[in-house]
Amino acid sequence: MSEVLNYMINGALVGLLYSLVAMGFVVIYRASKVFNFAQGELVVFGGFLVWWMVVSLGLPLWIGLPLAFVLAALFGLLIERIFFSRLVGESVFAMVMVTIGLLILMRGLILLLFGPQVRPFPIIFPLQPVIIGDILIPRALLIGGIITTVVGFALSWFFNKTRPGLKLTAVAEDHQVAISMGISVKRSVAFAWVLGSVLSTLGAIIYLSGKSLSFLASEIGIAALPVALLAGFESIAGVLLAGIIVGTIQGLVTAYLDPVVGGSVGMVFPMIVMLLILFIRPTGMFGWKTVERV
Amino acid sequence: MDPAGVFATSFARDQALIRTGKQGLALALLLLFLLALPELVGPRLVAVATAMLITAVVAVGLQICTGYAGQVNLGQAAFMGAGAYATAVAATTYSLPFWIAIPLGGCAAAAFGFVFGLSAVRIKGFYLVLTTIAAQSIFHFLVLNLPQSWLGGSNGMSLMPAELFGFVFATDRSIYYLCLVIAAIMVAGAFGIARSRHGRAFVAVRDDDVASGMMGIDVVRTKAMAFLVGAFYAGIGGGLWAYYVRFVAVDQFTLFHSIWLVAMIIVGGIGSVTGALVGVVVIITIRETFISLGPTFIQIAPSLGGDVVFAALNVFLGGIIAAFLIFEPRGLMHRWSILKRSYRLWPFPY
Repeated sequence: MSEVLNYMINGALVGLLYSLVAMGFVVIYRASKVFNFAQGELVVFGGFLVWWMVVSLGLPLWIGLPLAFVLAALFGLLIERIFFSRLVGESVFAMVMVTIGLLILMRGLILLLFGPQVRPFPIIFPLQPVIIGDILIPRALLIGGIITTVVGFALSWFFNKTRPGLKLTAVAEDHQVAISMGISVKRSVAFAWVLGSVLSTLGAIIYLSGKSLSFLASEIGIAALPVALLAGFESIAGVLLAGIIVGTIQGLVTAYLDPVVGGSVGMVFPMIVMLLILFIRPTGMFGWKTVERV
Repeated sequence: MDPAGVFATSFARDQALIRTGKQGLALALLLLFLLALPELVGPRLVAVATAMLITAVVAVGLQICTGYAGQVNLGQAAFMGAGAYATAVAATTYSLPFWIAIPLGGCAAAAFGFVFGLSAVRIKGFYLVLTTIAAQSIFHFLVLNLPQSWLGGSNGMSLMPAELFGFVFATDRSIYYLCLVIAAIMVAGAFGIARSRHGRAFVAVRDDDVASGMMGIDVVRTKAMAFLVGAFYAGIGGGLWAYYVRFVAVDQFTLFHSIWLVAMIIVGGIGSVTGALVGVVVIITIRETFISLGPTFIQIAPSLGGDVVFAALNVFLGGIIAAFLIFEPRGLMHRWSILKRSYRLWPFPY
């Protein structure tokens, strides 16, 4: 019994980590109507920034981490300047393909800048696990889960209750309408990318603390997709719930189904969840329903 | 736009693909060039040309699905893989001749694509991209996890060369001609599809699916058919690939390859069969240049070793997709038609 509980709790905490990455999707979508396929690459890039500051330059954590966040924010701004400020009001195809182009481009750039070697990621959270009875919880995941929940509710409040947040939301509804209401779409897109980039760096810190870092870590972007989808791309607080659901199920599937079917069910599982959600309810649990007019 | 002095007197004449004698001449010269190619260039370039022909079939299929019908598709390489595996199974396990095995591969890919096309009925835009990415990883999962005796698992499958009336397509040159003939048929077919009522329905659904539904177009059927046709082309290309390489493995058909294919139609021009062909030639030429320049790259950045070519290819692919979408969203074909127009109107500005 405690074994099941162990898998479930750890799964839920991993799910909350996915939520943090999925929040990157949602934040960028909420404020710019762009669906960002390069989210996983943003996480890896944030991870490399932290590695560069803390390990390569040897700065102490309390300087290195804020500096990495600032650099990530600048990088987000750069992406917006180069790519997305020119694409306001373009078709979905153009937006989606540009983010896929960005994914490929960043993968190449990360390889060129930081090399193909696997790097040790600094230990940000203490390694010894938290033990409650028979249940073993990695400390990074637990602290990460708490941070994610706090960040999730704060962002949700910001987007739903404050005036600037609602302005950003209007941009996701329709670029042209937002412009005609006097909302600066470009500024909103820039904000989205800065926020998305910073969230990705936070995700990288929680995900990679004490592990090894290479460009393969971008897989977390794919794993976070079904979480964002299940929540509905517009809901931030919903992402927390969706993360817990997907994470718990995935934890149980990996523990009990992998030995039966063969090694990689855990890998293809997010895809199957994603397909199921798309077939059953494409708008997710809390997504907007759009009425189409001609 | 036609050159001055060309007037169509009937609808058939107006819709003809070859409208002037000079266009006919250009097409004949192109075909002559393609036929003579193995005599003109070395074996390395023949191999590249064969790869171009195979990719052309797949890219034209993607152009029909994405360019004409507007169904964003990042699973084209998986559909190609489904075709390649079906061809390999038909050729080895059931020892069917290639002229049955390749169409069979096309049909298998079409069936695989149709399943994912069905989801296109309810969703669109980036949601569709998600299902096609899922198609990609489910394809991998299935191939690697089905019993080894079915699809060869991670070892892949080997094929015997194609054979017709005792003639064996074992040399590079003979397989080039085989691919040329099939690619020519498929491309001609694509021109036909694009101009038929189905092609017009595709374009209508791409431009506005709600409006085209109101005009009486069966949107659901049209979307599903776009995937069916696109995947069929991918399957034929996959079958050719299987006979060309004579070895099918799962890592020949990754998401990365799908993205290359999308890059080809973006560079060539969305919504034009000729554009897909132009994109294939341009992109594969540049990619091959990168790969043959590889040793030089490695000298510049020795610490990266063999990964530098891969990294440079990534930067190039991502950069070219973004650059074309931002600066030239209608692709090279658009440039070409501007050039043609200004040449025909010369010396007048417009």
